[in-house]
Amino acid sequence: MIDWPAFFIVLVATLVSGCLVVTLYSLGLRLVDRATGWQRPLGIACFVASGLVVLYGVYLVIPYFHQ
Amino acid sequence: MVALVIVLALFFDFTNGFHDTANAMATPIATGALKPKTAVAIAASLNLVGAFLSTEVARTISGGLIREGDGGIQITPVMIFAGLIGATLWNMVTWFLGLPSSSSHALFGGLIGAAIVGAGFGSVDFAVLMSKVVLPALLAPLTAGLVAFLATKLAYSITKKRQRNGFKHGQVFTSSLVSLAHGTNDAQKTMGVITLTLIAGGFQATGSGPAFWVIAVCALAIALGTYTGGWRIIRTMGKGLTEIEPGQGFAAEASTAATILASSHLGFALSTTQVSSGSVIGTGIGRKGASVRWRTAGRIALGWLITIPAAGLVGALAALVASTGLVGILIDTVVAVGVIAAIFLYSRSNRVDARNVHDEPTVLVRPKKTRKQRQADAKKREAEAKLLEAEEWRRATEAERAVPHRTTENTDGAAS
Repeated sequence: MIDWPAFFIVLVATLVSGCLVVTLYSLGLRLVDRATGWQRPLGIACFVASGLVVLYGVYLVIPYFHQ
Repeated sequence: MVALVIVLALFFDFTNGFHDTANAMATPIATGALKPKTAVAIAASLNLVGAFLSTEVARTISGGLIREGDGGIQITPVMIFAGLIGATLWNMVTWFLGLPSSSSHALFGGLIGAAIVGAGFGSVDFAVLMSKVVLPALLAPLTAGLVAFLATKLAYSITKKRQRNGFKHGQVFTSSLVSLAHGTNDAQKTMGVITLTLIAGGFQATGSGPAFWVIAVCALAIALGTYTGGWRIIRTMGKGLTEIEPGQGFAAEASTAATILASSHLGFALSTTQVSSGSVIGTGIGRKGASVRWRTAGRIALGWLITIPAAGLVGALAALVASTGLVGILIDTVVAVGVIAAIFLYSRSNRVDARNVHDEPTVLVRPKKTRKQRQADAKKREAEAKLLEAEEWRRATEAERAVPHRTTENTDGAAS
């Protein structure tokens, strides 16, 4: 009927990637706001990391890159 | 005939474009992350780019839904024509009602209807229909909704209130990703349809991919449609389901993108529309103080349920008429153009566009009741009437019983 293990993988992958982007971006917002000392670079690192996850999404969208 | 199908397919592509602008751009427009015009311009260009980027066309547009080829049926241009009429008309109707319904389902429905008329019920693989269309349609919005719910919770627990406007900048990127993913998926369907028609008409070798001009016109059609903006659907998605704040918008788009990418990368074909509606509802549940308008959500779900049968019915009718020959095809064309023009003209009486997309929807998605529903309603009314009658009868008998009781009381009272 339906490939349940595959669906489970999709569910987990979605959960992990979706929550990862949101967590990283939120952490970035939190750290950059009124940042002191070490917080600012760390916050920016969070933004960059969430941007990288989004870029990985772009990579997945374009079949040219992974064929 | 082939030319007619191509024109119709391109028009379907156009309706697909403006139907699906909402998937990516409803939330950034609703939160004010992007101006409405800017948003549709970004979506349109990303759709255009996306259509060119991925030339990975599904080998069969129906994905095994219709038993084609050896031992199966031959899909004729007339069948595709009828299916496209069903899909396009259904897209116009749902757009008019502001219903975010799946364009792919409309296309499948139309083709199924046409195939049943053209070659009987045996031509449709209902097991494939179940496992490839119906079940994913249930699971996709649930998955996206769950992830959006959790992501919203996370976003709101990590950030403080004054920091949350920063999500607007993030929204631009996540919604663009959704747009791009949409472009790489949806224009492909029309390319597949046109290529199939060209092959069936003998203009192209069997098994060859889409020609460059096909890719180009499909990309242009979907981008133009996207730029026109399906404002009615954008309003439903952005305002009708729940009030969306930037943090929610970001979470919803991230989970929409994640669901589409994960599933298409792992071989599940999902409807972008259903995924993003699920996300919006999920994010509505996830934020404290936000409420989801379940009536609207119910109407949308109802729209999904009837998309395949409705488009199938129109497709079947069109196929029936078209099977009479050239006159039938002409009648089909005239009727389809007439209906599309009528819907368009009628829609002008309550225009929704970039200017008033932020207004609260007043008359939102009110799908006409199907006959089954009307019958159910009639039954319900009947049952209610019966209940009322029974209640009255009960009261009457109670009163009757009470009357002698009271009289005895009275006489008692009089006696004392």
